[in-house]
Amino acid sequence: MGQTRRVFVQRLAFVGGGAVLVGGCKDDKVVDAGQPAIVRKPHQALTSSHKTFTDTEWDIVSAACERVLPKDEDPGALDAKVPEYFDRILQTPQLQKMKADFLPGIAAIDRRANRMFKKGFASCTGAQQDELLTLFKDSPDKSGEQRWYETLIVLCMEGFLGDPSYGGNQGKVGWALVGFTMVGAEAAEPMPGYDGTKHIHTAMCGGGKGC
Amino acid sequence: MALDEVDVCIVGSGAGGAPMALELGKAGFKVVVLEKGAHYQPKDFVHDEILNSRRNFFMPLPWDEPHLLRGGTQAPFSRTNEGWTANCVGGGTVHMSGYFYRLKPMDFRLKTELGAIKGSTLADWPITYQDLAPYYDKAEEELGVSGNAVPHPFLEPRKGNYPLPPLEEHPIAKELDKAIKQLGWHSLPTARGILSRAHKGRSPCSYCALCGSYGCEHGAKASTNASLIPEAVATGKVELRPNCMATQVTVDAKGKAKSVVYLDRDGVTQEQPAKIIVVSCTAIESARLLLNSKSSRFPNGLANDNGLVGKNLVFSSFGESRATFRVGKNKERWPWLNDVAPFVNRSVQDFYMMPDDKFGFRKGGTMGFMWAHPNPIFAAVGIAKKGKDGVFGKQLKDRLRDYRDSRILQFEVYGEFLPSDGTYVGVDNNVKDKYGLPVAAITITRHALDLKMTKFIVERGEEILQSLNPDKLERLGVAGETKILQGGTCRFGKDPATSVLDKDCRSHAVKNLYVVDGSFMPSSGGVPVTLTIAANAFRVAHGLVERLKTGKM
Repeated sequence: MGQTRRVFVQRLAFVGGGAVLVGGCKDDKVVDAGQPAIVRKPHQALTSSHKTFTDTEWDIVSAACERVLPKDEDPGALDAKVPEYFDRILQTPQLQKMKADFLPGIAAIDRRANRMFKKGFASCTGAQQDELLTLFKDSPDKSGEQRWYETLIVLCMEGFLGDPSYGGNQGKVGWALVGFTMVGAEAAEPMPGYDGTKHIHTAMCGGGKGC
Repeated sequence: MALDEVDVCIVGSGAGGAPMALELGKAGFKVVVLEKGAHYQPKDFVHDEILNSRRNFFMPLPWDEPHLLRGGTQAPFSRTNEGWTANCVGGGTVHMSGYFYRLKPMDFRLKTELGAIKGSTLADWPITYQDLAPYYDKAEEELGVSGNAVPHPFLEPRKGNYPLPPLEEHPIAKELDKAIKQLGWHSLPTARGILSRAHKGRSPCSYCALCGSYGCEHGAKASTNASLIPEAVATGKVELRPNCMATQVTVDAKGKAKSVVYLDRDGVTQEQPAKIIVVSCTAIESARLLLNSKSSRFPNGLANDNGLVGKNLVFSSFGESRATFRVGKNKERWPWLNDVAPFVNRSVQDFYMMPDDKFGFRKGGTMGFMWAHPNPIFAAVGIAKKGKDGVFGKQLKDRLRDYRDSRILQFEVYGEFLPSDGTYVGVDNNVKDKYGLPVAAITITRHALDLKMTKFIVERGEEILQSLNPDKLERLGVAGETKILQGGTCRFGKDPATSVLDKDCRSHAVKNLYVVDGSFMPSSGGVPVTLTIAANAFRVAHGLVERLKTGKM
């Protein structure tokens, strides 16, 4: 993992923001200029339950999600299966850029954990994990760390409060927390068997050759 | 090889393109409508926030089809998906909230009203409110607008009331009425492009509350995919071609528009010749299409002899504040607070035009009240904030629970956006979209008067909210602009030297080329412009049908 912080920052050109995703052209040109892609060497095989993350990455993301939305008197991120949402949504073709940006950030926060606490992020205490997340959150504007934190938050909220067909918000525990009762009560629920990820493709492609 | 020539080829199927398709089809002309996006069916409009608001179901992704955006002429551009409206049959009318206000007579002669304004390229319209009024009537009838016109100082002259009665309202509307009256202003029902009753074979609103940012599966919104487009196709004269991206409008040796070149749904290049070509892809994207349509006759882009295509871009000045009411705390006085009735539908237009510049500006706009959008991801991302203000963990969960136990009433300002030399759209030949076309590069420079005005109206709105004794009052912004409300990039006018289109929205330079989205507008007006775009398109269609029938092109 000889990746420098500079490369990490450059790779994180795009993040999840307000409505969809924004980024700066300057960073993009660096990527377009043939910057060597970061070589990820999964040191463990991908398991069947998660397709995007290695086991290590899965553990780090799971720990981070649970710090963002910890279980207390109400269910937390793991109860809602938010990491499952991350793993599945980052498989979608639209988010390949986000995936390419997000994965190095997982390694970065793990390295930071090792430097500061002599152990991986997933093995840190809750307080140590909070300290690391805060460090990323409060990093300078547009830094890779800050953007990674923003992506983490955005995907956490999507996984906690999105349609359960995407893998998160299981048992609709996220909707219960914020009192969102409209889908199923005021507004029609998606049809049984609905899969948001598939729907966005089939509805949009118009049956053309790229379909 | 080119396809068979048709009478009219329309690029875009939204508020501008759809009325043209309907009127030309009804008059018996052969029409092809090219739409870059998909043709969604009611079943595709699922109540799934991730699908509708957070992916490319409506708006393209910034790495597939970016817009470049900067604030000020010296700043670096950033990639964004701002400045797009929905890419699908019906365009922006599909995911709109449908606030269907009319412009006021003064909006058509604002430069005369205000005099020249330093730093602004403001111009009067070449038509008057009276010219457009019959087409407002028609658009309201065809699209189905629900409302109730009540007297107030800025009520525009109308022949009668709205075609449909107002939608049912949340009880908070009555509280707003009292508060606004107490302050000496006028509380107006907001007209909506949403059916309160069945209309023209379409179902009325089901009050599901997931309205703006969603497509309506009942066809109750005045979206052209539910109203005008099916009617147009039913004439048998209009062919709709979705998933077809126009790349260029070509011209013949005499400089007349000849055809639209486009990529079909298989990505294959096609050429559709037509006697008349109508461009209606939003003010930004229409300008881009013309600027990307270079020829030896028009080396700087089609119809761009005077260099004005893309100039004088306007949006709608935007500001907003929100008031939080704890449900438990307000139980005694407002037992109905948690009622799920979605519509507040109240507006204030007392500051549409100030009698003098005592407050530093004269042309104002409209304030519209509504419940905060119920989308939970949108709300939670806003609550989590970011950077030093960002929260996570227990603190975030506590705030999410607070949100659950509250109702948030807000207002939005739709104010005049003064045109200037500093706000325009061009194309960047170094940045291409997934089709290989240069993308639109948008520069926005705000006029100081607009910012003064927006702040003033936001402060008045806060006085209204404050008088309802909220548990929290929060200002979200006073210096924004609504980028889905666009106009001005091909402004119409009498003088070919200072405008792109004539008063019929026909190019001065290319006599068989029309632009009918918001591009024609020399000023933004102080209301959302969707209804005005539709009304104007009906007006333009009327003139074009007459001309085609008499053969006097």
